[in-house]
Amino acid sequence: MYEKMTGNIPLEKIDDYRWCIPRSYKPGMRVPGLIYADEKLLKDIYQDKALEQVVNVAHLPGIVNNSLAMPDIHWGYGFPIGGVAATDIDEGGVISPGGVGFDINCGVRLLKTNLEYDDVKGKIKDLIYRLFSDVPSGVGSEGDISVSPKEEKEILLKGARWAVEKGFGTNDDLECTEENGAMSGADPQAVSQRALQRGKTQSGTLGSGNHFIEVQVIDQLYDREACDTLGLNLGQVMVEIHSGSRGLGYQVCEDYSRSMIGSLTKYNINVPDRQLACAPLTSSEGKAYLSAMKCAANYAWCNRQCLMYLTRQVFEKVFGSSWQKLGMFLIYDVAHNIAKIEQHKVNGKQKNLCVHRKGATRAFGPGHQALPEKYKKIGQPVIIPGDMGRNSYLLVGTEKAMQETFGSACHGAGRLKSRTAAIRSIRPDMLLKELESKGIIVKASGRNTLVEEAPAVYKDINDVVGVVHNAGISKRVCRMRPLGVIKG
Amino acid sequence: MKKAFYQFIEHTADIGIRVKSSSLAGLFKCSGLAIADISARKQKTHYHKKHRIVIRQKAANVEELFVNWLNELLSVSAIESLVFEDIQINQVNENFVDAIGIGSDLRNYKLNTEIKAATYHQLKVKKTGLIWQAEVIFDV
Repeated sequence: MYEKMTGNIPLEKIDDYRWCIPRSYKPGMRVPGLIYADEKLLKDIYQDKALEQVVNVAHLPGIVNNSLAMPDIHWGYGFPIGGVAATDIDEGGVISPGGVGFDINCGVRLLKTNLEYDDVKGKIKDLIYRLFSDVPSGVGSEGDISVSPKEEKEILLKGARWAVEKGFGTNDDLECTEENGAMSGADPQAVSQRALQRGKTQSGTLGSGNHFIEVQVIDQLYDREACDTLGLNLGQVMVEIHSGSRGLGYQVCEDYSRSMIGSLTKYNINVPDRQLACAPLTSSEGKAYLSAMKCAANYAWCNRQCLMYLTRQVFEKVFGSSWQKLGMFLIYDVAHNIAKIEQHKVNGKQKNLCVHRKGATRAFGPGHQALPEKYKKIGQPVIIPGDMGRNSYLLVGTEKAMQETFGSACHGAGRLKSRTAAIRSIRPDMLLKELESKGIIVKASGRNTLVEEAPAVYKDINDVVGVVHNAGISKRVCRMRPLGVIKG
Repeated sequence: MKKAFYQFIEHTADIGIRVKSSSLAGLFKCSGLAIADISARKQKTHYHKKHRIVIRQKAANVEELFVNWLNELLSVSAIESLVFEDIQINQVNENFVDAIGIGSDLRNYKLNTEIKAATYHQLKVKKTGLIWQAEVIFDV
């Protein structure tokens, strides 16, 4: 058996795209680690502490099968980013706020248009500048969509449906959103007053960091049948929106990370990292967090619905036509920081599991009951954004993902270099010039955000997507290249 | 650049800092001011009013107290739209901190980086000899 060492963590090669950290590596591991990567990506994965975090996650009570890592895995806090873990509710399985993260239901949605590259190439600057002016973005950004305390609680229950009822979208949008834009079981009583305060003015705001709205064009088709189902073609203009639950989600995570430190003692749970603080799903603490997390997830779906509404308005202004005539229909919206109660087979038996996806995308295969009727034949659309200088991908989930990864795939390119290293080594003016020479217009709220998100600090999305495709846990449908982007 | 009161620690996705001080009060003060230094850069002062906000936290141990303290500063500054320019520590021990944050209107600043929260991951707060040192990773 081929063996590599990363620090002192042994990696056993299963095949060209799968690597195992045996359970015997460390006392306390309840399951092995399973990493999806090829030799090239492994070289990057060795560089930080992500594998140590895969091992730490394997200690969670009730974890089943494997502590999983997608090929975009990198060092996070608690879970690695790109980590997936499922715990068995009936076997003492736990839920951990650190397995979801502070930006609860950070996610991405992809819209198509009936515009082609030639229709937008002379207007891309105008489009990006208008998006930047009309969509609130940046640190602590506040939006024009102000809500009363009563309405905010409605958002926590109704998610994207709240926005649709206000006229910011249609029922078709909801059909094409994971969970139809709202998880059931959300309880606003489980959300602190402070979290509500932080969320009050942030609906319809992009935020900062790696959040963006990007205008793209399809430059490669891989699966003709899936493209036909989705109504996609070469040269078609697309829009991708990446945002999350803003301050409300941060506060929910903070509130429950703090309280679950106490749960570790109460339920006699040993984990190697306090950021993995957790509680049994059947406990009052576990149930309360899940209810509050669902509220934040619903807030995020409402937020992305509002952002899409603002985006459609900008296109209407620039192209002088309604968004319907411009064919701006939602392909799909996926969460990539979330915990979900799902049914999966474990050792041949159907089990109720809590699937944590921290920087990982749900990727359900064809026929799954959670999918809209129109996607049942091809599988769930899986949207994987790259960095602002390289491609993004649309894939579909597979049956193999259902068998191996609880129906999960990667969520992006994955960071390679730290933000501080980026600020030290990249000049914003040079970066903007370089992107413009590739025909990519960028508007960013902050100088730091721009360099922190430069292509050089990310892995190559083409390598990452290549692994999930070749491992069979998702299937490439088409590839997009960026034309313009606004960054928070 | 006046960054002598904290150092960055390399972290792939987020931002880590190391803070040192001869007292626990100094450690808490410097770490709180590091948040402002990382997040925002002062522009012209258009809004002169200073806001004095009481920050009190307690915890089972000094590390948890430290994280609670930083998260309280982040949370209050987000809600009140302030940047804490100065901090007065009235009382601090390993389980309790009582302080006043002196905040300036956010509109006096150009914001750089959004810190979502302080995390417990690889958190260290310890006294070695006469020096207190803390290491913390922020989710950004």
